[in-house]
Amino acid sequence: MKLSRHTKVAAALAGAASVALLASACSSDGGGTDEAASDEPITLTITTFGTFGYDDLYEQYMDENPNITIEATNIDTGGNARTDAFTKIAAGSGLSDIVAIEEGWLGSIMEVSDTFVDLRDFGIEDRSGDWVDWKYAQATDADGRVIGYGTDIGPEGLCYNGVLFEEAGLPSDRAEVAELIDGDWEHFFDVGRDYQEATGKAWYDHSGFVWNAMVNQLDEGYYTADGELNVEGNAELQERFELLGAATEDGLSAAQAAWDWNGGKSFVDGTFATFVCPGWMLGVVQGNTEAGGGDASTGWDFADVFPGGAANWGGAFLAVPETSENQAAAAALADWLTQPEQQVAQFEAAGTFPSTVAAQDELAANPTPNEFFNDAPVGEILAGRSVGVVAQFKGPDDSVIQENVFGPPLQKLDRGEVSTQEAWDEAIVLLDELVG
Amino acid sequence: MTTATPEPVPAVEVDVVSPDRREKVDKYGRPRRGRGSGNAGLGSRPGFLTYGLLAAFVIGGAYPLWWSYVVASGTNATRGETLPLIPGGNFLANAAQVLDAIPFWLALWNSIVISSTITISVVTFSTLAGYAFAKLRFRGRDGLMIFVIATMAIPTQLGIIPLFMVMRELGWTGEIGAVIVPTLVTAFGVFFMRQYLVDVIPDELIEAARVDGANQIRTFFHVALPAARPAMAILGLFTFMMAWTDYLWPLIVLSPTNPTLQTALSQLQSGYYIDYSIVLAGAVMATIPLLILFVVAGKQLISGIMAGAVKG
Amino acid sequence: MTSTLTPPTGTGSDGDDSRPPRASRLTWRQRISIFDVKASPYAYVAPFFLLFGLVGLFPLAYTFWVSLFDWDLLKGQGDFVGMENFWAILNDRFFWNSIRNTISIFLLSAIPQLAMALLLAYLLDQGLRAKTFWRMSILLPYVVTPVAVAIIFSSVFNEADGLVNNLLNLIGIPDQQWKHDTFLSHIAIASMVNWRWTGYNTLILLAAMQAVPRDLYESAAIDGAGAARRFFSVTIPSIRPTLIFVVITATIGGLQIFTEPRLFDVSNAGGIGGADRQFQTTVLFMWELAFFRRDFGEASAVAWLLFLLIVAFGLVNFLLSRRVATGDARGGRRAARRAARKGADA
Repeated sequence: MKLSRHTKVAAALAGAASVALLASACSSDGGGTDEAASDEPITLTITTFGTFGYDDLYEQYMDENPNITIEATNIDTGGNARTDAFTKIAAGSGLSDIVAIEEGWLGSIMEVSDTFVDLRDFGIEDRSGDWVDWKYAQATDADGRVIGYGTDIGPEGLCYNGVLFEEAGLPSDRAEVAELIDGDWEHFFDVGRDYQEATGKAWYDHSGFVWNAMVNQLDEGYYTADGELNVEGNAELQERFELLGAATEDGLSAAQAAWDWNGGKSFVDGTFATFVCPGWMLGVVQGNTEAGGGDASTGWDFADVFPGGAANWGGAFLAVPETSENQAAAAALADWLTQPEQQVAQFEAAGTFPSTVAAQDELAANPTPNEFFNDAPVGEILAGRSVGVVAQFKGPDDSVIQENVFGPPLQKLDRGEVSTQEAWDEAIVLLDELVG
Repeated sequence: MTTATPEPVPAVEVDVVSPDRREKVDKYGRPRRGRGSGNAGLGSRPGFLTYGLLAAFVIGGAYPLWWSYVVASGTNATRGETLPLIPGGNFLANAAQVLDAIPFWLALWNSIVISSTITISVVTFSTLAGYAFAKLRFRGRDGLMIFVIATMAIPTQLGIIPLFMVMRELGWTGEIGAVIVPTLVTAFGVFFMRQYLVDVIPDELIEAARVDGANQIRTFFHVALPAARPAMAILGLFTFMMAWTDYLWPLIVLSPTNPTLQTALSQLQSGYYIDYSIVLAGAVMATIPLLILFVVAGKQLISGIMAGAVKG
Repeated sequence: MTSTLTPPTGTGSDGDDSRPPRASRLTWRQRISIFDVKASPYAYVAPFFLLFGLVGLFPLAYTFWVSLFDWDLLKGQGDFVGMENFWAILNDRFFWNSIRNTISIFLLSAIPQLAMALLLAYLLDQGLRAKTFWRMSILLPYVVTPVAVAIIFSSVFNEADGLVNNLLNLIGIPDQQWKHDTFLSHIAIASMVNWRWTGYNTLILLAAMQAVPRDLYESAAIDGAGAARRFFSVTIPSIRPTLIFVVITATIGGLQIFTEPRLFDVSNAGGIGGADRQFQTTVLFMWELAFFRRDFGEASAVAWLLFLLIVAFGLVNFLLSRRVATGDARGGRRAARRAARKGADA
C-alpha cells in the first residue's frame, strides 16, 4: 500500500500541477552544494518515512551531481521510523547519512541530540531566515546546536464531507463552512450537536485526533517551555478535556480505531462528517477513502478554518548523524532537499506542506485545485492555515503521553465506558505510572 | 507456542523411528486387516461419523487460509463479505503492491539464509554432541547431560536485552548475523540426537570400527553419521521451522530496511491506510514457501512430530 | 573443527599416569590413539557448550546485572539501584495485568486445544483409509507462521465486519468487540494459538495412542466396557506421560506468547496489546518497557521474574511427570482391569 499507492495519491494531490509553478518557484540556488562539488564519488544513504515524495528529487540531484549516488529507504510509518531510529541510536551504528525525524518524537531525540551533527558547522545559520521561525527553533537543542533541516510542517485545516453536510441541512460550500465553523472548540462541538441532532450520526471520527489538535494548539502542551511536565493541575488542558468529554458524551465521536477506520470504509459510509487535517493527513484521507471504495464523489472537502485558531500537527526534519562518514555531502543534500524550490516539488509529489516561507508564499500565490477534495486549492488554504501557528515545546515523552496516557481513556470515553471525569483521572494515573 | 518455543521435548525415553520401521511394528503388533487399528474400532471399521467429523475439522481448519487467499485475490471490500468462497482476479495485482510496499525478495532471501545457516549449525553441533553423549565414554558425561536437559526448559529468548547490547558492541545490529548467532545451538537438538543415537547404533559397531583401526573422527563419519541421518533430517526440519517463524528477536535486532520475511510481513499492517486485500496477499505470499516445504517434506514432518511423542 | 579446539590437557596425561609401566612402551601412534579416545568426546561436545554458554546462559546472567541498574535504551547504564527495579515491577499493576492476561490466554488455548487434539487423535487412531492425507490435512495450519496467523486472524476478528462477526450476525448474534473486550480478545488470541497448534499436538497424542497395547482394549472390550469407557479408562491413563509432555511444552511456550498479541491490533496505542493493555502478555510488556519506554533496567527485571515463573512451572510439571511416569507402566493395565470390572458390574 506504500509506494505505488503513494504515487497514485501524489499524482492526485499534484492535480493540475504545472511545470510553470516549479520553474517559477523561487530558489536560492542550493547554497550547500558547494561542499559536495568535489569529484570524488560518494554514496549517500537516506531514511525517510510515510509519504515524503522525494524520489524525483533524488534523481534530479544525482543528475546535477554526478559523483553522488543516493540510496534511499522509506519506512512505512513515523512510528516504525521512530523505533528504527531509536534502536539504531541505541546500537550506536546503522543510521543512514541522513535521517528523517518526525516532530512528535523530536523531543526524545533531543535527549541525545549529540548523536547528530551541529548543522551550524555546515552553514545552516545563513539559512535560518528561510524557515518559519518556530520550525528553526524546534531543531535547536538546549546548547544551541541545530540538528535538523526542516522539511514540512503540519498546519491544520478542517476536512469535512460536503455531501453529508448537505444532507444534514448544513452549508456545504467551502467558504460557508469556514464561516460556520469559525470560532472556538465549544462552537465547533455545538455545530456538531446540530449535525448529530439532524442525522443521528457522529461528528468526528474519534476523540484521540481531536484531542491531539486541541493540545497542539496551546502555547504549552504536555510540557512547559522549560521542559517541565505540565499535565496535572493544568487548568487550561483540563478545561479542553472537559469540552471534548462533553461532546463525546453527547455522541459526537464515531469511536473509530485510528489508522484503521475499518479499512477506510468509515470514510465512505458516512460514519463521521469531519476530520482534523494537517497537510500530510490529506493523503491519508484520500488513501483511506479509496481503500474503502470511495472516490472524489464521496464528498470530502477541505475548509480554510480550524476550531480555536491556528494549529500544527507533525512535520519533519532531516538530520545528519555523527556516525556518518560523509557529513559534509550529507548536509549538502539535506540542505538542498529543504530549499523552497524542492519543498514545493515535495508538496506536489506528496502533499506535505513546506516549512520555508518562500515556498509557502509560492503555494499561496499559485492556487492549484485538488481534484479529490472537490477542487479545493489545498496549497493556498494550508498557507493560510499556517499563519499564527506557534511552536510548542515537545518533551521527551510527548508521543507516549499522547498515545499511551491519553489514548486509552479517550477510547473508553468514546465507547461510553467512562465519564469525562473518570477518563481524566485515569489519564493522570497513567501519566504517573508511565512517565512520572 | 510462541515463535521460539523449543520443539517437542520428549519427556521420557524416546525412540525416534523412521516411518517404515514404525509401520512394521504396527503391522507386527496387530492383525493386518479386518480389525481397525483403533482402540474403539475393535472389530469394526471407522464409520461415517468419524470421517464426517474429521472432514468438518479439516475444512474448518483450512478455511481461514482459503479465506485469506480469497480476500487477497479480491478487493478491500471482500474482507467484509460473509463467507466468501470464490477467489477474485486481483491476486497478482495485490502481490505486486506487496512487492512495492515491503522489500519482499530481500526479506525472503534473508529468511532463507538465516534459517539454513541455523539449521546446518544446529544439526551439525547437535549430532556431534549427541553422538558423544550417546556412545562415547568421558568423565563428567552424565553431569553434562543433566545440564543439557535442565537448560532445555530455559527460555533463552528472555536474554534479548543483553543480547541486544552484545550485538551493539559488535556492531552487528541490523545485520542478519545478529539473528543467526544466538540460535547456532539448541539444547533440544543435542538431547534429541542423543536419544536417537543411543538406541540406533550398536556399541559393537563402534568397537569394530576401532578394532579396524579407525580413529574417532573416522568412526563418527563412517558409523555415526549414516545412522544419524533420519534424525538429522527431522531435527533439521524443526530447526528450520523454528528459525523461519521467529519474530521477537529479528524484530528487535533488525531494521525495517533489512528484514526477515516475518518482520517485513508485520510491517504491512501498520501503514497510514490499510488495504486488507494487500495485507492478506502478503500473508499468503509468505506462506507459500512453507507450503511448498510442507508438500515436499510433509511426511517427514509428521513422522518427526510423532517420533517426538513418548513411548508408551 | 577438532583441530581448532584445545582439549583439556589433563585428560591425556592422567590416562598415561594411571599405567606408568606400559607408558614407556607405547608407540607414538598408540599415544595419539589414546589421546584421540580421551579427548575426542570433549571436542565433540565443546562447540555446543561454548556457544550455548555464550549466547544462551551469559545473556540470562547479564540480564540480572542490567536489572540492578537504571539503564536507558539510549543513554545507557545509569546508577546502581539494587533491587529497586524488581520492587517497581512487583508493584506495577501492568506487570500483574500482563501475568493475568498471559495465564488467561494460556488456559484458553491449552485446555480446548488438548480436548480437541485428544478427540482428533482418537478419530485418527481408527484405522482410516488415506491416513497420510488426514494427518497432513490436520497439520496444515502449522505451516502458517505466527505472524501470518496474527495478520489473518486480526482481520477475521475485525470488530466492524470481520468474518467472525459476519457469521455471528447470520445466526442473529450482534457484533462482538473482539479487540476491545478483555475476555473476547483473549479468546481471539487463544484461537490463533489453537488453530496453529491443535494439529501438531494431535499427531503427538496419536503416536502415543498407537503405542497403547491392543490387548488392553480387547480385554476391556471383552469385559463389556463401551467405547467411551475404554477411552477414558484405558486410553487416557496410558498416554498420560505424553499428555503431561504436551502440557509442559504448551506451558513453556504459552508463557512466552508475544507475536499474536503484538500483531492483533497493531495500530492501536503502538501495538502494546490493546489500548487498555487488555491483552498485553508479559513478554509484550517486557518489549514495551525495553523498546518503547526505553527502560532496560525494569525490562530486565521483568525478564527475570518471568524466567523464575517459567522455571517454577517447569519444576512443578517435572515433579508431576516423574510421579506419573514411575507409577504408570502398570497404571494403564490396572486402569484397564478396573474399567473392565466396572463394565462387567454394569
